Amino acid sequence: MNKDIINIGIVSKGRLKEESEKILKKNNLKIYTEDGERGLVAKVKGRKNIRVLFLHAREIIDQLSLGNIDLGISGFDLLKESEINIQKNIKVEKKLKFGFATLQLAVRKEFIDVFTTLDLDEVAEDYRRKNKKLIRIGTKYPNLTRDALYKRGVTNFTIVKSLGSTELMPAMDTAMLISDISSTGTTMKKNHLRPLSDGEILKSQACLLSSKKSKSKKGLQGLIKLFSK
Amino acid sequence: MKSKNSSNKILALIKSQGFNKIELDSVLETKYILQRSGENFRKYLFSFYNSNGEELCLRPDLTISSVLRYAQGNRFNKEKVFYTGSAFRKSYNKKNILIKQIGMEIFSSKDENKDDREIIDTSIKVLKKTGFKKAKVEIGNFKLFELLIQKLSIPQRWKNRLIKFYWNKEYFSQLLKRLDSNSDIDPFIVAGDHKTYLKMKKEYPKKMIAGRTYEEIIERYERKINDPRLTKTGKTSSKIIKEFLKIKCSLKDAPKKLNAFYKKYNLNISVAKEFFPISTSNQKDLKFEFSTSSGRGREVEFYSSFIFSIDVKIKGKTKTFIAGGRYNDLSSKKLGLRKIPAVGAAVNLAVYE
Repeated sequence: MNKDIINIGIVSKGRLKEESEKILKKNNLKIYTEDGERGLVAKVKGRKNIRVLFLHAREIIDQLSLGNIDLGISGFDLLKESEINIQKNIKVEKKLKFGFATLQLAVRKEFIDVFTTLDLDEVAEDYRRKNKKLIRIGTKYPNLTRDALYKRGVTNFTIVKSLGSTELMPAMDTAMLISDISSTGTTMKKNHLRPLSDGEILKSQACLLSSKKSKSKKGLQGLIKLFSK
Repeated sequence: MKSKNSSNKILALIKSQGFNKIELDSVLETKYILQRSGENFRKYLFSFYNSNGEELCLRPDLTISSVLRYAQGNRFNKEKVFYTGSAFRKSYNKKNILIKQIGMEIFSSKDENKDDREIIDTSIKVLKKTGFKKAKVEIGNFKLFELLIQKLSIPQRWKNRLIKFYWNKEYFSQLLKRLDSNSDIDPFIVAGDHKTYLKMKKEYPKKMIAGRTYEEIIERYERKINDPRLTKTGKTSSKIIKEFLKIKCSLKDAPKKLNAFYKKYNLNISVAKEFFPISTSNQKDLKFEFSTSSGRGREVEFYSSFIFSIDVKIKGKTKTFIAGGRYNDLSSKKLGLRKIPAVGAAVNLAVYE
């Protein structure tokens, strides 16, 4: 990567993309692509030293950690889910006012006897005794889920990594329960799931993040100040 | 150098007390650790796969390795063993990755009280041998807490929870808060669940949902509603537990103090001598204390009754030099093996570093 160019990573699709572009626009950074709508690299009008890269939200975290991008807008949940070696290379500059969501544990609505993680712990222990197997929890967030459950004393479980449609896992018997991110709770409800009363793991929102490896890059601090207003 | 000299002295002394030296495997099959304890151990396991796809790990704990050795060797008779080595645990603090210890264990005790006494007596001899003149010996007994909980007027599931989470200080205090206030119960959800319950009752009982049958969900739900948690008894029980966990006194006064406490709350419990397996409490320079919270907050959740620690002062800092206790349920509840009554102690060699 060119050392004089400041690389900003934003999410390549969906609401996070729209909101991130709005922030750039608000700060007089007008972006354009030379490769049409599908181009994944954009330039900024009148600012030759800035380049905008459209990436997957998780990729933004990884690239910030490597120092391949200098600034990025991504979810706080994804930062916290990443390995500690990645997290320590990234600074949260500002929590932005969009992308609000909660990572939480949820069970099928038929689990009327499971109200809290205490109930879950007991069900997990019964299940292990009867079936000689551990209960399975489906999630895209294995690290955060594991930590949260340890803190609540639940240890008899295995994590099944989900690559999408996590809400479907209990209905398909792939997992007994899930830990998933939700902004309104509608998808969970539609899929007959209900959160545990003490099942909240993390409150998340979009964040402006910077790479600690780029700290001394020319013009970067000014840009951070501009976004942080 | 000092560490090596001291560890040689300790090993010689333990051997002279009739303990046999054993070697422990450094690499264990991960399945023994994870099958029953679930993900709890995984957080600090250094694990890897061999060419057959079997998951192996560096031993995370020496006591666990010694129990596995005893169980897998089809041993059934009483055995007194000692060993030395390191346990390996993932940690962000480099100092905590290698845990250097000397350990001694007595498996398949016939007279548990006698063996408990032998472990603590040997530990005190180790202390003296290594030149520590002054020390604090703290004794506790998990059974006392279990006895108390069984006497309280709270649902059985809550008794089990409090017993299970006794060692986890932070989470335990959250539980007491819930017991105190019923703050975790949402009447709106409870009403909704009851409607679902009535619907489910009409369905085929063996119908499965997310790995559970309707029958077992309904059975557990009915058990809960038939044994409700009442605000008044929850509050009283929480108060009694909090007061109990504050009891700390000299070992000599412990029976008197405990019995007075039980009498105050009409709990119909009386403490006898076997809860304090000490024959050396008249030793000068050693301060013998009793605490109902002994060992809480440390990772010792496998102890089932007697527990102790010996703290020394080194360069103005208090450090735990020896700690141990009885762990009759470790093999069956945590490792999925047969029940092996056992008591042991570990000498922490890191105090010399």
